[in-house]
Amino acid sequence: MNVLEASHINKYFHDPAKFHVLKDMSFAIRKGQFTSITGKSGSGKSTLLYLLSTMDTQFEGSIKIKGEEMQGKSNKWLAEFRNHHIGFVFQFHFLLPEFTVLRNVMLPGLKRAEYSPGEVEHKAYTLLKLLGVEDQANKRAALLSGGQQQRVAIARALINDPLIVMGDEPTGNLDSKNTAIVFDLFRKLAAENGQTMIIVTHDDDFAGKSDHVIHLADGRVLN
Amino acid sequence: MKKRLSEIGLASSIAFTYMRAKLKQTIIATAGVTFGITVFIFMVSFIQGTNEYTQDIVFEQSPHLRLYNEVQLNKKNGLDRAYPGMVNVIHHQKPKDILLNLKDANHVLDELKNDSRVLAASGSLSAQVFYRLGSCSLNGKVNGINFESENILFNLSNKIVDGGFEELSTKPNSMLMGVGLAQKLNVKTGDQLRITTERGDSFIITVVGLFKTGLTDIDKQQSYASLKTVQRFLKVPSSYLTEIKVKLHDKELAPKISQEFQRKYACYGSDWKKDNSSLLEGDVLRKMIVYGVAGTILLVAGFGIFNILTMMIYEKMEDIAILKATGFSDTDVRWVFLTQAFVIGTVGAIMGLFFGFLLSYAVSKVPFHSDVMITLDHLPVSFKTIYYITGFTFGILTTSLSGYLPSRKAAMMDPIAILRG
Repeated sequence: MNVLEASHINKYFHDPAKFHVLKDMSFAIRKGQFTSITGKSGSGKSTLLYLLSTMDTQFEGSIKIKGEEMQGKSNKWLAEFRNHHIGFVFQFHFLLPEFTVLRNVMLPGLKRAEYSPGEVEHKAYTLLKLLGVEDQANKRAALLSGGQQQRVAIARALINDPLIVMGDEPTGNLDSKNTAIVFDLFRKLAAENGQTMIIVTHDDDFAGKSDHVIHLADGRVLN
Repeated sequence: MKKRLSEIGLASSIAFTYMRAKLKQTIIATAGVTFGITVFIFMVSFIQGTNEYTQDIVFEQSPHLRLYNEVQLNKKNGLDRAYPGMVNVIHHQKPKDILLNLKDANHVLDELKNDSRVLAASGSLSAQVFYRLGSCSLNGKVNGINFESENILFNLSNKIVDGGFEELSTKPNSMLMGVGLAQKLNVKTGDQLRITTERGDSFIITVVGLFKTGLTDIDKQQSYASLKTVQRFLKVPSSYLTEIKVKLHDKELAPKISQEFQRKYACYGSDWKKDNSSLLEGDVLRKMIVYGVAGTILLVAGFGIFNILTMMIYEKMEDIAILKATGFSDTDVRWVFLTQAFVIGTVGAIMGLFFGFLLSYAVSKVPFHSDVMITLDHLPVSFKTIYYITGFTFGILTTSLSGYLPSRKAAMMDPIAILRG
């Protein structure tokens, strides 16, 4: 079953000059698949991921997630959709520095408001434990090291049991040991919970171990 | 609805975290609003207090409406009657010699007293006189009054500072004198002095009491005597009255009723609004100044909030992007910042009301003596709920407005532009 279908995606940048970034891209990603998006710098990896994440709505073509068309939906609708179905891990921007680690993880769950704050807290704590940062739970996020923050960010991406977890080089700030931990976790989530992973990466090892690689060059998918 | 409320609750909790992290700036912004409202409350209370005080003493001496006669030019002269239809020009026409009394005054008084709109009416007769004591001779005015009815209108008995009014009607040639006048003449209760009327008649009178209205003009020139005494001074019959003063149940109706009475009784008339137009006009101007100054101060406080929020939004761009990426909608983000403006505005306004009240109260206890406003012993301050309501509304309005623009900007921020770096 395809959880995500992209067909004939075209994306242009207009500033400073008109530039065709993504050229007539079509692909599909199956449920529970571990997908890597690779390519050189400037090949449009991050741009594609932002389109798939529904945050960037300026494109031509069609993106269907869970059978729903993303093109032409209102910001409010998309925000709610992201909240329910997509977990996101960023490359540079991790956490809200003034909030505690636990609160950072809880926020998307509180926004969803499907479970009580107590349940959300319990779940956040479980996720922090899974990622080995539970002892930092009550510290302010700004006080954590980069690697710790990245793991907290992954916990936050998982709080609402998203259908798809997207990562923009989520292991870019981690050493090889932690990279291995995160990779195994993603694998496990894909295998056991049927959660789909779409990870942008530079790391050839990482990509090599994934189920499906979308390799980009000059704004096109290479097979 | 419940979901909406919980969303606002969540946004507020984020807002509070931000405010706690930026406690110093938040306090400064709040202090700005507090200061603005404090100054507003204090200025309005003080200026209105002064206004009300001066108005009270003036209006207490000013009847709601008065009826009188006036020296006038004859509109139709003899030449016009002799040669109708011609262009007749008369240079330097002399005013007509008329009696200044009101026609059938006692009957008019009776009718007025039976009018349901009239609270009280009092007839009086005033005469220009010279007060003479030794070589001293001062120009002034004697009001012949019926003390009982005049007292209802002007609360005279409260203004008597020495002696009493009881003898006024019983003792012939007695009078109540203004304190300023008595001081100039150096007379006390019980002293006698001579007065001379316009026609040159002289009378010996006894001062039976002193009064103080607080209006220098009156206190330095006037005295009260019984109607009969003044009628005797002027050698006129007992029906001779020059002025009827009326107090109404509703003083706002005065101009209309004045017109009606003027037509009905064929005399001139005036009302308190006309008599005190410059005072009332000044009141409006002073109010405009107060609201102008307070508005400016609040505007500056509003700019403070605007600045702090705008800066915070630039600092928190990454946070905004993360919130949006994790599913917070534009509206949620707007609430995060609007809540801050709202909290700063509300807390600032409430503290402003409190400090404004304290300051006004402190000032109302400051002793103040003035030769002009002689009944004043403390600074006059007005405490009216409406100032506090206005101040609060004003404060909330400016802060919400100055919070609206930055929060709209935050809501419209594109997360991609921020995340791409």
